Amino acid sequence: MSDTVRATSPNVPSENQDAQAVESYLLSTLDPVGRGGRFWILGLLAVVAVGAAAWVTQLVNGLRVTEMRNYVSWGAYMGNFVFFIGISHAGTLISAILRVTDAGWRRPITRMAEAITVFALIVGAPMVLIDMGRPDRVMNVFIYGRFQSPILWDIVSITTYLTGSILYLYVAMIPDMPILARHARERGRSPRLVRLYEMMSLGYRESAEHRRRLALALGAMAAIIIPVAVSVHTVVSWVFGMTLRPGWHSTIFGPYFVVGAIFSGTAAIITAMAIFRRAYRLERYLLPLHFRHLGKLLLVLALLYAYFTLSEYLTAWYGGIEADRRLMELLAGNTAYGLTFWLWVVFGLFAPIGFLLFPGRRSIRAIVAASVLVNIGMWVKRYLIVVPTLQTPFIPAEAAGITPWYFPSVVEWAITAGAFAAFLLLFTLFSRLFPILSIWETAEDVDEARARHVRVPAVAAPQPGSAVRPAMLLVALIVGGLTLLAPAIPTNAVGAQEAARVELRRASEGEEDVLVAAVTVGGVPAPGVTVEFFAYRHLGLLALGEDETLDDGTAAVSFPRGLPGNLRGDIRFRAAVLSPDSLAGAAAETVMSGGVPARQDAGEPPRALWSTRAPTGLLVGITVLLLCVWSTYAFTIWQLMRLRGIKGG
Amino acid sequence: MVIDLAACDGCGKCVTACSDKHFLPPDREWLRVFKMKDSENGAPYWFPRPCFHCDDPPCTRVCPVGATFKRQDGIVLVDNERCIGCRFCMAACPYSVRTFNWGHPDNPSDAVARGYSPEWGYPRRVGTTEKCDFCPDMARLGKLPHCAAACPMGAIWFGDENEDAVTSGPDKEHSATGANEGPGAAGDRQTVRLSQLLRDRGGYRYLEDLGTKPRVYYLPPVNRRYPAPGEPDAEKGAPVRGEQR
Repeated sequence: MSDTVRATSPNVPSENQDAQAVESYLLSTLDPVGRGGRFWILGLLAVVAVGAAAWVTQLVNGLRVTEMRNYVSWGAYMGNFVFFIGISHAGTLISAILRVTDAGWRRPITRMAEAITVFALIVGAPMVLIDMGRPDRVMNVFIYGRFQSPILWDIVSITTYLTGSILYLYVAMIPDMPILARHARERGRSPRLVRLYEMMSLGYRESAEHRRRLALALGAMAAIIIPVAVSVHTVVSWVFGMTLRPGWHSTIFGPYFVVGAIFSGTAAIITAMAIFRRAYRLERYLLPLHFRHLGKLLLVLALLYAYFTLSEYLTAWYGGIEADRRLMELLAGNTAYGLTFWLWVVFGLFAPIGFLLFPGRRSIRAIVAASVLVNIGMWVKRYLIVVPTLQTPFIPAEAAGITPWYFPSVVEWAITAGAFAAFLLLFTLFSRLFPILSIWETAEDVDEARARHVRVPAVAAPQPGSAVRPAMLLVALIVGGLTLLAPAIPTNAVGAQEAARVELRRASEGEEDVLVAAVTVGGVPAPGVTVEFFAYRHLGLLALGEDETLDDGTAAVSFPRGLPGNLRGDIRFRAAVLSPDSLAGAAAETVMSGGVPARQDAGEPPRALWSTRAPTGLLVGITVLLLCVWSTYAFTIWQLMRLRGIKGG
Repeated sequence: MVIDLAACDGCGKCVTACSDKHFLPPDREWLRVFKMKDSENGAPYWFPRPCFHCDDPPCTRVCPVGATFKRQDGIVLVDNERCIGCRFCMAACPYSVRTFNWGHPDNPSDAVARGYSPEWGYPRRVGTTEKCDFCPDMARLGKLPHCAAACPMGAIWFGDENEDAVTSGPDKEHSATGANEGPGAAGDRQTVRLSQLLRDRGGYRYLEDLGTKPRVYYLPPVNRRYPAPGEPDAEKGAPVRGEQR
């Protein structure tokens, strides 16, 4: 696949390259695509179209066209979501961390890394939308959003991350924009394209003040995007971790996902580097050194991920809690998932480690092979996180004669393929519009190298600065409404019989309170009559006991202690004659005090995770975090807006 | 709700009644009867599982739009006019209670005619979740939920905890259909004090350690009134008169 994109062969730069040479060489990657490139783009478009058609099928028929069912209710789409959000971490790591630590070798790869972030997010985030049963109601999330739900955390943090990474990618592209505008004008490209480049340059020129401002903006973004990226994948993991399911409810899920994300992201960037290197003949700038450095990073991350995996699953297996044990049997035992899991361990984890571990064998080919294995493996791993857990509910479905099973349907595969094609297509088109290697940073690299060897004073490199001044206010509001529906209490008609008459009252008998029923027949007390006593409850009559009347015609049972009544503590009692049959049916009902008053319901539900109103601490925490991040964005934008006003240069 | 595991013989009439009255499509059951066996040498027993209407419901915690909610009377309901179909609640429910309308539902005309309310959950809509609702529409009428009313063994008790009372026993409507047979059916409903029932019979809640505070109690399957599942004379749908407790 690496040969499919090929620009018309650019000029080979001269031996003693300088900034000019870098510029003209990298600009040549924007030359019109060749036949291979056209086929590549058309092929991707075709796959995207198939995926789109599959989605339309799903929109029309509902999620029935997937293989997801009531037990396994999440599947490939969630796997894709986690995978794409994962590889989006490439940009953050390579670019931001290396920029903050001022690692010089980063320069030719930052642009590519930042672009992966943006496009992976653009493709990954809508996966949730595709997974939704009612995508038409997506606005409900904004109308009724509850910040107790990790989904809201996801939406907020991914929106923040996408905004930030677009801003970050853009800021680092600004110095290239005047060059691109000039180049497009010289080549006689469409005026609209020239205008686009000019607009995006924001009036940037090569001057000390412009450079200083840009460095300030870039430094702020590089610093803030790292915690934002960490938070994003942590929150993604919490969609699983916050549930009580075996295999998901794990304290290390946040860091496990973050490491997995950086791991797969680094592999993604190595793969992308290899493809662009071949397609655009960038061997001069993407050196074996870059592959080796990133390869070492990948090795460290692979070992870290192996460590996390061992820690996660060995604990579950060794501890052997019932539900965990069943999950481990499914995930790593003699099942289809077990086979997949161990294949992943061998080919997705150990093989890459093997490829990367021995310095003598650490060729570009080996490093790229390891990266491709990691990419495939991490998609499989995400799938194995989502599906087997859902197949292992606490109450085994097998006990009801059901065997939960899931394998993605044709529609799900088509949409998945479409998503990958869309990602590659966006990446390809981006690299047609903007050089995939940052011109100014690569030139800086060359300058620096010359400065070291030829002692020519280099152009002052931008000093990463990081000033964060909170300046924005964000207010989050939750709207929700509940209706309290108080059950109505029915009133029963009192049945009476001609012959017998029952009177019901409360009396004290020594220390005890009793319910007394006096039975009379024709005004005369009736002895030897069995009377049963009840208390009215909403759904039935609570039997309190029965008693036979004495000579004075009274029967009694203990007054029920601690029995709840209505708000005032009133209870409706009933006394009914059971025998003899001639008198049966005679009854009396009386409402009496003496019950425990029912609790008056509080007007508003408490602040709780399950209620309509979120706990105050949660809201404050989210607001403070967002304030920090968005004020940094505002600072960056403010710096950019002032670029145009700078005189001189 | 209190479910007497000593009385349940796994006949499944509760499931049938629930499914009929809620017009459930054949791919789902709101109430499901599991054949459980807790340990190797333990005796198997039938385990009806409705929604537990937890006091700290994990499903309601995670709902992003408040489409599933807990009322002040403790009942957890789903509003299928607001549900966005993310199925987070299904993933969060540790008891696998919730079901989903994966395709366009086939609503019978009776269901359509009644109009929608979260209190009965139909007519159902594509791409939304649903679950056992404790039949609040029946409670309004002073009637038991359909499952409790249909149980010939009187194994399902239902009531208002504020009243400290639970009621079981078939409805007249159900006894007319012949469901009113078996030892639990004295013909009438029976109401007992909840606190006393739980105390006397060792009532417990399923998976108490998860901290969800279910509102359904189980009475352990001791001194059963029927042969355990798997025993020679155990036959589904044929309750056997056993010794009274």
